[in-house]
Amino acid sequence: MSILSVRQLYIMGKQNHIVKDLSLDVQEGEWFALVGQSGSGKSMTAMAICQLLASNLEARGEIWYGEKNLLTLSSSEIRKIRGKCLAYIFQDYQGSFTPFLTIGQHFEEYQRTHLNLSKKARCKQAVEALISVGLNEDIYSKYPFQLSGGQLQRVSISIALLLEPDILIADEPTTALDSVSSFKVLQLLSKLQKETGCAILFITHDLRHVKKYADRIAVMKDGAIIEAGDKNLVLDHPQHPYTRRLIQSAPSLKRSTCRLEGVSG
Amino acid sequence: MELVIKKKSKRRWRMTVLFTVMATVLAVAAYTLLILKHDPALVNLGERLWPASMEHPLGTDHLGRDVLTRLLLGAQLTVGYGLLSLFAAVIIGVPFGVIAGFKGGLIDRIFMRIADAFLAFPDTIVAIVLSGLLGPGIENLLLAIVLVKWVNYARLVRSTVITEHQKDYVTVAKINGLSSFGIMRKHLFPHLIGNVLVLSSLDLGKIILLISSLSYIGLGAQPPAPEWGAMLNDARPYFQSNMLLMIYPGLAIVFVVLLSNILGDYLRDAFDVKKEVES
Repeated sequence: MSILSVRQLYIMGKQNHIVKDLSLDVQEGEWFALVGQSGSGKSMTAMAICQLLASNLEARGEIWYGEKNLLTLSSSEIRKIRGKCLAYIFQDYQGSFTPFLTIGQHFEEYQRTHLNLSKKARCKQAVEALISVGLNEDIYSKYPFQLSGGQLQRVSISIALLLEPDILIADEPTTALDSVSSFKVLQLLSKLQKETGCAILFITHDLRHVKKYADRIAVMKDGAIIEAGDKNLVLDHPQHPYTRRLIQSAPSLKRSTCRLEGVSG
Repeated sequence: MELVIKKKSKRRWRMTVLFTVMATVLAVAAYTLLILKHDPALVNLGERLWPASMEHPLGTDHLGRDVLTRLLLGAQLTVGYGLLSLFAAVIIGVPFGVIAGFKGGLIDRIFMRIADAFLAFPDTIVAIVLSGLLGPGIENLLLAIVLVKWVNYARLVRSTVITEHQKDYVTVAKINGLSSFGIMRKHLFPHLIGNVLVLSSLDLGKIILLISSLSYIGLGAQPPAPEWGAMLNDARPYFQSNMLLMIYPGLAIVFVVLLSNILGDYLRDAFDVKKEVES
């Protein structure tokens, strides 16, 4: 059953279309990867889902979450869904944290908005969440600038999954991390997904991230989805020439001698 | 790590000294009334231009008034009026800037053009013109100072709100389900407090200078008010015979302005997140 369906989404700036006629379905509990190069409109699509677009951009179309069309909800209705049902992780882990609040205070804020817990219970829940992503308890009282990138991204994952949302939108969460940290973060995401059963809309420009974890893939180019389907189907039998070139251009250990080709935009 | 700790404690020590001095100045200004022996306005021509003595530690002025008494009361007047006008400017400027920065669009443009209009005139000119129109007097002077100073706070707050509002953590807070008011209160306001405190402590010195200089040319506090600028003006004809009469209020102004500038510098360092990250 699809938990989030986007139908004929258009995102328009003042002059140009950023996203054109985009439709996709995210099934319950799956890992859905949205792949494409910079500027293809992946992030904009993710932002449009929660009405987070900048005020000079306009989204048209339908985004169904259960019975609700997210694009038509009032700001107080969408606030109830954000965080609780739909969670986000961003690429910029430094910027995702308010510099003068501790990690604990970030947790507090989430919990106070959506849950009715005592102070002690809140602290306990937060520490448990930190431990579940493989961090120490003492992180709770630290400031964001005292943590490394990998640690911060783990913290943001633990905060995002704290309320067990139905969908986690991960907007290039590993792009700013080194390959070891990003591997660990991906592993962690997949582990937590199995535990909580949330669907993940994973936005990336890196096909390597997709190969191992994704269930289904959609390839975006110039604001439209050019190819979508099961992971193996898309990766092994790409139909669109752009997808084919994208897959060929990924460096591989086995074909280390071959010439790398660029992808024409 | 050791080096960092040393540095921090040194900074803290200097901060303590600074705040103690500042607090003493304020306390002296506030409690002068209780320890006064002389009437600051009592004219006693028999004692005019006396040198320093036990009775009058800093001597008397051209009308036989005790200079120390007037100097201390002047602190109350000058610093008090400075703080008052500063407070009024902040109270007007901050909400103005917050609304402009947060709402954006047309409201922002209208608000900022109003602010630009105020900014177009130099401080002193506006103060002189207003005093000329409304008549000289400390109330009109304060009004003029508030009119020229609030713009700085509005602009500062607006730009801070706009830059911080674009950052990811605001988006994260939005996703989290916080209302705009909640985001303002929890995520943006702490930024503003620091910036506004720094600017206002630097501004205090400028405002005191403005009050004193306008009082000096007779547009601010009127005699016999013991305002420092007015005292300078009173002492002007006696500069050759009794130079100290002019030096005392001058030193007092220098001292307070210097203090407020140093305070501003320290506050700027204290609120600088980057410095903390580096250490």
